[in-house]
Amino acid sequence: MITTFLADIVRIILLLILITGALIISTRTLSALVNVYSIQSLLITVLACVLWYMTKEKTLLLIAAITFAAKVILIPSFIAGIQKKIHIRRDLEFSYIKPAGSILLSLLLMLLVYVVFSGVFSKFAVKDPLFFLGSIVGVSLMLMGMLVTFSRKKTITKVMGYLSMENGVLVFGCFATELPFIVEVMILVDLIILVILTTILTIGIDSSLEEFQERLIRYHIWPSEEEGQ
Amino acid sequence: MTAVLYLIAGIIAFTLTMALKGHMLKRAVLLLHSAANVLISGYIMFLGNIPEISGFFRVDHLSAFEAGLSSIVFFAASLYAGGYVTRLIETGELNPKSLRLFYGGFSILMTVTPVVFLSDNLALFWILAEITTVVSAMLVASLAARENIDAALKYIFIASTAMLFAFIGLIFLFEMSRTGSGTGTLNWSELMIISKGFDPSISIAAFFFVFIGFSAKSGIVPFHTWLPDAHSKAPSAVSAVLSGVLLNIGIYGIIRVYAIIKQVPDTESSGFFILFFGVLTVFIASMMMLKQHNLKKLIACSSIENMGLILIGLSFWTPLAIFWVLFQTLAHSLTKAELFLSAGIIHRQYKTENPAEEDVICDAFEMQPAASVFLIAGSLAIIGTPLFPVFLPKLFILLEAVRFNLLTGIIILTTIAIASFALFRFIWGALSLRSDDTTIGKLKHYRVSKGMHAAIIFLLVLMLYFGIMVPEWFYNYLTVIVSELGLGGI
Repeated sequence: MITTFLADIVRIILLLILITGALIISTRTLSALVNVYSIQSLLITVLACVLWYMTKEKTLLLIAAITFAAKVILIPSFIAGIQKKIHIRRDLEFSYIKPAGSILLSLLLMLLVYVVFSGVFSKFAVKDPLFFLGSIVGVSLMLMGMLVTFSRKKTITKVMGYLSMENGVLVFGCFATELPFIVEVMILVDLIILVILTTILTIGIDSSLEEFQERLIRYHIWPSEEEGQ
Repeated sequence: MTAVLYLIAGIIAFTLTMALKGHMLKRAVLLLHSAANVLISGYIMFLGNIPEISGFFRVDHLSAFEAGLSSIVFFAASLYAGGYVTRLIETGELNPKSLRLFYGGFSILMTVTPVVFLSDNLALFWILAEITTVVSAMLVASLAARENIDAALKYIFIASTAMLFAFIGLIFLFEMSRTGSGTGTLNWSELMIISKGFDPSISIAAFFFVFIGFSAKSGIVPFHTWLPDAHSKAPSAVSAVLSGVLLNIGIYGIIRVYAIIKQVPDTESSGFFILFFGVLTVFIASMMMLKQHNLKKLIACSSIENMGLILIGLSFWTPLAIFWVLFQTLAHSLTKAELFLSAGIIHRQYKTENPAEEDVICDAFEMQPAASVFLIAGSLAIIGTPLFPVFLPKLFILLEAVRFNLLTGIIILTTIAIASFALFRFIWGALSLRSDDTTIGKLKHYRVSKGMHAAIIFLLVLMLYFGIMVPEWFYNYLTVIVSELGLGGI
């Protein structure tokens, strides 16, 4: 009884995660985009907790903890801070495909993932339908994030797409197997390095060499007493 | 514990680079660091115990070979970098304040790269490969021109998003190993042993995902779009490393996972899959080369073509093909580094004020006689002229292709011929152009430091050594690698 109830909860959370994925595709205001990402990460935190309750795997609890610390608090506040400094509020530029098209395409991709996975994991799907569903949602979220990365023009929104993709990997990892905790930490380290580096580069993208250095110093990203010679 | 030696050398060098002031000292540290890495690699390859297993690291002949190759290319690039960076500062393209960023980044990259090859754990390999992407992108952006930052961002986004797919593949492998043996593992040495019992369809799915990730790192079509920009915009010392070393990381990852998948019965379709992408890559790259008007971009496209050729060889998975794939890896790395370093001098000589415009090369033999000769030698080498090391692997991979299917062989031969034609047409046109024919006046001579020429000559000597001699120790070394990959003898 309790398991079916929990399974329903997991299904609802998975659905909500997919909705946040769609919102990341379609949201144009950057601050809202960061909030959506934050909510998505929070949903994954809750998901990991529920899964921990169901399977009693301690790693899931650790995953929930680092996800909350890094992706609900640390990364969103970092990006929000950068956004304030560089005064980009909205990202209205899209290359290749507009949000409506992206959402339609992501529906098709989801269907494709479902068909392919049903073929590959036919045994797995019958044995454990919930975990099968989770794996599909994980990979679908990844593909949705990928669409964002390729269709947005501003680097900062591309980063949001990448972050959303990584959340997809996390969801997939939670359902498909029991990864060692150290591996999860590794991915997180990768994520943080990438976010910091790309945002630093973003600041420079519209400026000449001198302006770039000067801006970095102004935003305290670069130590101003830096001396090379 | 030999992997730790690289880390120790790296930490010392990095600390010194950060602490010491002045360009000359940083240069000296970089050169010493790269020389130390060559010594460490030499020790690992010829004196150390193989196989050596310690924690997350494992040395076998393939990893020692790749690490050694990377050290050689890094050594040449470091020798070249000193003089090159001095000129960049003189012309105001590199801010002296960025020196620490450049040398620090270079030293991190030089430390991480050999360790990537020595890691036994695929997840560790994955994260280290990601770090090489991020650090090398930082080096591409170190010139801080708009084009460079664009190229660096494109590189990071394409390579990293694709690498996330590779991670999905790793999760598949982990789950299969968990079902198979009770405790999950991502150590490829253990996966090689237990993979016989893996489910064929999941194995192919795992390989598919891993292939997406690692092929983007190696610039395989359709994930190649970042490569011409990043390789051509980077400072030439970095371009040499990007092409000569970092592309090998992706191919190395594919070889490792493919070796695991090949142990699983009923996975032949993965070979056709690789062959398809290999042929597609060679084809698209040669088409791109035909319409290229920028020397460094042209050389970068030729890297894509060579990676495609390596994939083609890999797809046959016969002992002979793999032997020549490994030979080609060495030949391509040395030749491509030599080409980029030579092209770097030419590019500096003829660089226009506006970075969006193409260089107009004229009177090359008067302005830069040595670099022009080196460029011609490198071009002859990369298209597979006899006596140069690319000749034999190209020939034998082609023969394997013909043996597999005549039509495939003919298609590959034609596309390689187109690529060679495109390269030579450009080099011929550029180097034979006289200044009377163009409106450009007399250019200021670009002074080339001794170290820059020495680096190119060093690579040329090595190329001729492997091309003409095909040393017996090397033959034996590659034979051992082939048998370690589970293929038996040649």
